[in-house]
Amino acid sequence: MILRALFLRPIRRAPLRFLVTVVGVAAGVAAVVATLASSRAAVAALQEGVAELSGRAVLEVRAPGGLADSVLGDLVPLAHAAILVPIVEEVALSPRTRTPVRLFGVDAFVDASVRGVAPAFAARAGNEDDDHFLEFVRGDGAWIGAGLARDLSLERGGTLELDVRARPVALRVLGVLPSGRGAAFDHLVLVDVALAQELVGRIGRLDRIEIVPRVAGADLDELRERALALVPRGAAVVAPAQRGADARGLVRSLEFNLTALSGISLFVGAVLVATTLATSVVQRARTLALLRSLGASAGQVRVAILVEAGTIGVLGGVAGTALGFVGARTLLPQMRATVATVLPAAPQSAIRFAWDHAATGVLLGVAVALLAAWLPVVEGARTPPIQALRGEAPARLSQRERRIALGVAGFFALMAVELVQLPAWDGLPVAALLGTLCCLGVLFAVLGPAVDALGALAGRVSRLPVSLRLACAALASGRRRAAWAAGAVGVAVTLSISIAAMVHSFRQTVIAWSDQSLRADFTIRPLTTRDGLPIGRLDPEVLAVAERVVGAQALDPYHAVEALHAGESVTVTAADFGLAARRGGPQLTDRTDPLAAIARAHAARGALVNEAFARRFDVEQGDRIRLEVGGHALERRIEGVFRDYGDSRGIVTIERDDFLSYFPNDAPRQVSVHLLDDADRAALRTALESALAARFQVEVLSNVELRTQVLSVFDRTFAITTALQGVSALVAVIAVLSVLYALVAERRADLATIAAVGGDRLQLAAVVVGQAAGLGLLGAATGALTGVVVGVILVSVVNVQSFGWTIDFHQPWRLLATTVGGVVLACAVAGLLPARATDPRRLADALREEAA
Amino acid sequence: MIAIAALLLVALGQGGWRSIEPPLSVAFPRDHGAHLDVRTEWWYLTGEVEAADGAQFGWQVTIFRQGLDPSAPGPHASSLRARHALAAHVALVDVKSGRLRHVERLRRLGDGLAWASEVDLDVGLDDASIRRDPAGALRVAAGALEAGFALELTLEPAKPLVMHGASGVSQKGPERGNASAYASITRWQVRGTLKLDGASRDVRGEAWFDHEWGTSQLGAGVIGWDWTGLRLDDGRELMLYRLRNADGSASPFSAGTLVLADGSSRHLNAADFEFAPTGTWRSPATQALYPVRWRIAVPSAGIAGELAARSDACEIDGRASTGTVYWEGPARLDGAAPGSGYLELSGYATSMAARF
Repeated sequence: MILRALFLRPIRRAPLRFLVTVVGVAAGVAAVVATLASSRAAVAALQEGVAELSGRAVLEVRAPGGLADSVLGDLVPLAHAAILVPIVEEVALSPRTRTPVRLFGVDAFVDASVRGVAPAFAARAGNEDDDHFLEFVRGDGAWIGAGLARDLSLERGGTLELDVRARPVALRVLGVLPSGRGAAFDHLVLVDVALAQELVGRIGRLDRIEIVPRVAGADLDELRERALALVPRGAAVVAPAQRGADARGLVRSLEFNLTALSGISLFVGAVLVATTLATSVVQRARTLALLRSLGASAGQVRVAILVEAGTIGVLGGVAGTALGFVGARTLLPQMRATVATVLPAAPQSAIRFAWDHAATGVLLGVAVALLAAWLPVVEGARTPPIQALRGEAPARLSQRERRIALGVAGFFALMAVELVQLPAWDGLPVAALLGTLCCLGVLFAVLGPAVDALGALAGRVSRLPVSLRLACAALASGRRRAAWAAGAVGVAVTLSISIAAMVHSFRQTVIAWSDQSLRADFTIRPLTTRDGLPIGRLDPEVLAVAERVVGAQALDPYHAVEALHAGESVTVTAADFGLAARRGGPQLTDRTDPLAAIARAHAARGALVNEAFARRFDVEQGDRIRLEVGGHALERRIEGVFRDYGDSRGIVTIERDDFLSYFPNDAPRQVSVHLLDDADRAALRTALESALAARFQVEVLSNVELRTQVLSVFDRTFAITTALQGVSALVAVIAVLSVLYALVAERRADLATIAAVGGDRLQLAAVVVGQAAGLGLLGAATGALTGVVVGVILVSVVNVQSFGWTIDFHQPWRLLATTVGGVVLACAVAGLLPARATDPRRLADALREEAA
Repeated sequence: MIAIAALLLVALGQGGWRSIEPPLSVAFPRDHGAHLDVRTEWWYLTGEVEAADGAQFGWQVTIFRQGLDPSAPGPHASSLRARHALAAHVALVDVKSGRLRHVERLRRLGDGLAWASEVDLDVGLDDASIRRDPAGALRVAAGALEAGFALELTLEPAKPLVMHGASGVSQKGPERGNASAYASITRWQVRGTLKLDGASRDVRGEAWFDHEWGTSQLGAGVIGWDWTGLRLDDGRELMLYRLRNADGSASPFSAGTLVLADGSSRHLNAADFEFAPTGTWRSPATQALYPVRWRIAVPSAGIAGELAARSDACEIDGRASTGTVYWEGPARLDGAAPGSGYLELSGYATSMAARF
C-alpha cells in the first residue's frame, strides 16, 4: 500500500516528471558509457592491433631506433627453438583518401606459420599461388587489406598509390587479404620485408624481430633469457603485448581525463535524481504524514523512497547504457582523431557492445540514484504524523543550520586544498580530480544559505516588482529543492567554465609557445591526413633539393628517434644549436635565457630536455642523463629544460652532428627554412614548391600557416570536451525544469490566491519565470566561481600530473560572462514551460480543492 | 642426389642463369660451396646409424637452394632482397618401428639465418647446417624440436669425391642445357649424437653425400624420377636414377655410377642396368602409389638383387612449404651383391615437371 501511495500513484499522476528524471540519469550514464566505449574502441584497437598483427609471436626483439638486420644472424643459436621473423613497419599516406595506412614488411618465407596472413602464401604445386608467393617475395607489389581495397576500389592487378617518406610510390596490388582477420589487417599494406626497407629508406634496419616458439608450451622465460644473451646492448626482448601497452600508455592520461569529465555529467545526473526525489518527498509531505498517522514506520517510508530511486536508477542505467553505445559511435571519430595525434594509423575498430560497460552503466545509474536518495530518504523518514504537520510553515535556516552548512563548505574546501597538493597516483591525477569534486561539495553546501539569502534580500528590497519578490520568496520557502536545482545548474556551469578555462589556457599557452618556438619562415613536411597530421618522414633527397634552392645554412631538419632512459621510452631529437643560437631558442621553464643554455649545450655536447622529461624523471639542469639508443649509450649533461607541448613522454635534444654520428641515415620528420631578412620569401617559396613538387609529396607551409595548423590540430583534439559540456548542460536544464514543475504544483494554492485577488496570467507567469531565473542566477553565479577554481586545478595540477607540461592559466572572462548570462536566460526560458500551468481557470479549481 | 628441391619452384625460365654444359671445370673445395649463378642446387646427406642399444635409424639432412632472381642487385637494393631461397628437409626413420619424423625449414638466403658459402661447403638455415672442416670432415647439425629429435653428427670421408656423368656432367635430357653438375662422396663414417624425445644417445654408421647444381635439368615429358644410392657390403657403391616419363616408361637419359672399392668410378648408361619396380605401397595420406620394392641388376658388375624399403611409410609431405610430396627412406639390397642405402621416389603424388 505504501509503495502504491508513494511510488506508483505519483508516477501515474505525473509520468512526465518521472520520465524526465529517468532521462536525466540516462544522459549522465550515457556520457560515461559513450566515453568508455569509444575510448576502448579507439585505444583498445591499439592493443588488439598488436595482438592481431603479432600472430603466434610470443616475444619480440626490439630496440629504440630499430635493429640492424645483422641481428637476425646473431640469433642463429635460438633458431632450433623458435622461428625468427623480421618486421619493418611504417605509416604511409594514401593520397586518394588522405588517410594513414600501415605499411607492414614481412618475410613470407616464414610468415605463413606465424600470421597466416595470406593463405595463398603457402605455395602449392601446380596452382597459381606459387606465382603469388614468388611475386610477393620478389617485391613485385603488395597485398592490401580488404577495407583499403574497398575504399580505393582496388583488386588484384590494380595500382595502389602511396606516399612513403613523402615520395609517391605506386605498388601493384598482388592480392586482397581476406576480410574478417581483424581491424589491424583491414587497412594494411603488406609487402616483402626487403621492399619495405627500400620504400621507407631503412636499408639494413629492422623494426623488430618476432620470436615464435616451434613448439607449444615453450618456456618463455628461458627463451627470453637466451635471446637477451644474443641481442646487442639496448635491445629488449619483450612480449608483443608490451607494444600495445606502451601505445596505450601514451593515451592513458587522455583516456582517464575524458572518463573523469564524463563522470561529471553523471554527477549532474545524480543531482537531478536528488532534486527530483527531494521535491517529490516535500510535495508528498501530506501523504507521507497521513501514512505515518496510519501506522507506517519510518523504515517503510525509507524503503518506498529507495524503491523509487532504484527504479529510476535501473531505468536510467539501462536507457543510458543503450544511449551510450549509440553515442559512442558519434564520439568515436573524435576519439580516433585524438588518438591519431599520438599514434597515427592505429587500427580502426568499431564500437562493440561490452557487458562490462553495460554493467558499469546500469550499476552507475542505480548507485547514483540510491546515493542521491540519501537526503530525501532522511527527509521522508523525518516527516511527522499528520497531526504535527498541520500548521507547518516554511522557515529560514536557523543560525545553527547556517553554521553547519558553512562548516561543511569549509571542510570540503580544506579537503580540496589538501587533495590538490597530493602527487599523481600511478601517473594519474586521481587526488586532484577528487579535489575538484570537493569543490562541487562546497558549491552544494553554500547553496542552502544562498537561497535563504536570496529570499531575505528580496524581502528587504522594496523596489523589486511584486512578481520577483514573490518568486524569491517562493524559492526561499522551497529552499531545499531550490538548492538542489541551483546545484545542478551550478555543476553544469562549473564543468563548462572549468573546461573552457583549461582549453583556453592551453590554447593561449600553445600560441605563446608557437610565437617563441616556431620561428621558421617555411616548414617543409610530408602531406597530411584529412585530420591535418603529417605522416611519416621526408626522403633525405628533399633536403638536398631544398639546399639547392635556399642554401644549406638556411635549413634546419628535424630528426627524432626513440630512445630509452631509465628503461622508459623517450624521444631523442636533433637540433642545430648553432642555428638556434642565431635564431632564438625555445622558452625555458625557469625563464632564463635560452641562448645561454643552447651555447652551453653547443660547447659541451650537452642536451636540452623538455619539461615532460624533467618531470617524468625528476631531473633538472646540471643533472646527467644516460640514454640507450640504437645500440649505443649516450650520456649527456642537461643544460636547460624547455617548454614543449608535443611529447608527454619526454624529449632530449642533442646537437645535430652528435645525433647524425649515431644515425647517419635518419630521415628528417620536417625541415625548417630560415631565410635572411631581405630574402624574397614569396619567390623562394614558389621556387621551393616547384623544385620539390616534381618528385615529392610535400607541403611548404609559411610560418602563419604552420601556426594555424598547430592550432587546428589542437582544437580538434579538444573537440570532444564540447560534447561532454553539452550533456551536462542538458541534464542541468532538465533538473531546473523538474524543480520548476514541482514548485509550481506546490505553490498552486498561493498562485491561485494571487489569481483570485486579481493577478493576471502574465503576472503569474512572471512569478514562475522569476523563480526559474533566480535558480539560474544562483546556479550560474556559484557555478562560475567554482568553475574558476576547478579550472585552476585542472590547469595547474591535473594537466601537469597527466602530461608533464606547464600551461599558464588564462580565464576566458567573456566566455564566463556569456555562460552565466546564457544559463540565466536559458533557465528563464525553461520557466516558460511550467508557467503555462498557471492558467487562472485551472488555479481557481486548485483553490476550490484547497478550500474543500 | 636428385632430390626434391621443389621449393616453391616454378618455372622461372632460364634467363640469366648459367646452364651446365660440358666441358665442366670444377675445383674443390670451392665447388663444394654454392654456385649462385645457377638456378637450382642441393646438398644431400642420407645415412643409417645405429645406437649402442642396437636401435637403427635412417636419416636425411638436405639443404636446397633455389635461385629466384639472377639479375644484379640495384644500387639501392636491400640485402634482404630474396634472390635465392634455401630450404632444409630433415628426416629420421626408426627402422624398427617404421616411424618417420620430418621437419622443414625455409628462408631467404642472406638474411643472417640462411647462408651458403661460395668458397667451401658451409651452408645452412635456422637450425640445419652442413659444414666442411679443413680436414675434409663434415659437421652436420639439424634440430627438429617440433618432431622431437636433433642430430649432431661428424662425418669422415671413406671414399674420394666422384663426379657423375660423362666428363662430370650429368645429362638428363636431350637439350644441351638439360644437365647438372653432380658430385658425390659415396661413403662416410658417421659418429655423433641423436637426441630423441629428450634422451641423448651416441650413434655410429655410414652416410652418402650428393651435391648437385644446374639450371634446367629435366627434359620434356619427364614427370619424376626414382633414385637410389647404395653402399654395397663389398666396398663398392652404386648410384642409379631412372627418369620417368608421363606414361611410366623410363627416359633414355636415365643413368648411374658404379664406384669401386678403390674409389675409381664407372658411368652407367640406361642400357647398362636394370632398375624396375616389383612392389608398391599406397600412402594413406595422399593415395599416391609408391614402388618401394625394385629389381636391380648391373650385369657387367655382377650386381643383381631385390631392393626393398626398410620402412614403407616414408612419404614426406612438403606441400605446406615447398609444394612437393615425395618418398625418401632407407632401403636394403639383397642378392648377389648386398648392400644398403637410400631410395627416393618423386613425381608420384605431385609432378616434378616444370620444376627442374
